[in-house]
Amino acid sequence: MYHSDHAKSREARAKVIEFTRGLGVHATAVELDDAFNLLEIAERMRADVRRERSAGATVRFNIAGGTRLMSSAALLACILEGIPATYVHDDTYEEIPLPLLRIAYGERLTPKQREVLGFLVKNRERSFTETALAKALGVHKATMNHHVRELGMRGAIERVRDPDDGRALLIRAAPGMELLLG
Amino acid sequence: MGTRALVATFGFDERRVLPALRLLAYDELVLLAGRDSVKAPGFERLRALEPGLRAVPVDPFDLRACLDAATATLRDLRRRGHPARVSVSGGTKILAAAALLAAFQEGAEAWYCDPEPVRLPVLHGVRIVDGLSDTARDVADFLRAPTTMDRLVARVAHCGFDGRATRAAVRELVGHGLAELGLDGGKPVVRPTRILTTYRKHFPRPGKA
Repeated sequence: MYHSDHAKSREARAKVIEFTRGLGVHATAVELDDAFNLLEIAERMRADVRRERSAGATVRFNIAGGTRLMSSAALLACILEGIPATYVHDDTYEEIPLPLLRIAYGERLTPKQREVLGFLVKNRERSFTETALAKALGVHKATMNHHVRELGMRGAIERVRDPDDGRALLIRAAPGMELLLG
Repeated sequence: MGTRALVATFGFDERRVLPALRLLAYDELVLLAGRDSVKAPGFERLRALEPGLRAVPVDPFDLRACLDAATATLRDLRRRGHPARVSVSGGTKILAAAALLAAFQEGAEAWYCDPEPVRLPVLHGVRIVDGLSDTARDVADFLRAPTTMDRLVARVAHCGFDGRATRAAVRELVGHGLAELGLDGGKPVVRPTRILTTYRKHFPRPGKA
């Protein structure tokens, strides 16, 4: 159960924990440091989902509670990890399952594409031409050109003009791709 | 490049939408908005800024309706050759979640601008449904009610799938929570789950969306 540090949110947390205790169900509350940072919240939720799954738990997420931002972050975590998500309606209490597939979204890139993107994400502060990228990852220029084109078509990378060499293009990871790779 | 479209979720406060309008370039603006929202002063103020904006009225508390509307809007823009971006920082939680899900379903770039722009990790043109094999999507189309495996195999056979391929597709659907396997009178029975029944149009046969 994720909640913000707002007094009302803490009050609601206490009620939920009391309720679940009555049911004999263990509940863990996670207070989010910054309830306005979507990517950070999604990353936190995703890490928790991964940990629970690796411990053998079956995970599904009710994304209905909290702010719009928290709800969106929870949905992101579900899509990226490929876990079932449900929206329990605030007023009707209807459980609405969402049409997600149980497949991690990042796996829609090939392992090699993920490797290239991962390298660019890890080295965000540096700029690479296609040739430099090929050299850094030890692949042929033509192979790298193929990966870069594929990643470009999917909007996973951006190509910008090199300020020092008008003919050269520098490649960098598009914003938000950290979360894709996890 | 063709006309660029921005699809934004909208509630009553235009200030939730303005950052996206300032930061994301567009030629065509579509607002997914509650039916009451389009009569609100905030909407009129936006229309004064963007006279060409098009509103798609939705029930912002009905997730399925919002998802259908958002998906249909994105598919329509794609059919017309207009690459669309989605901004999900306005409107109700339900509308925002539906629009975000639609963006992932349709492979449309998505942003959360409140007020800083945050790009969400959608891959262009990569749709959630593409995670299913073509055979599984064909079999899902046939799976409208509980049916024995033998009958399902026979029905799908005229599409050119043999029994082994159909059984593999059923296992795939089960793995994704779209079908369930059971026994009825000792015979294996396949049932569509609530997700498949409710969202059938979001899992179209190959080449149908």
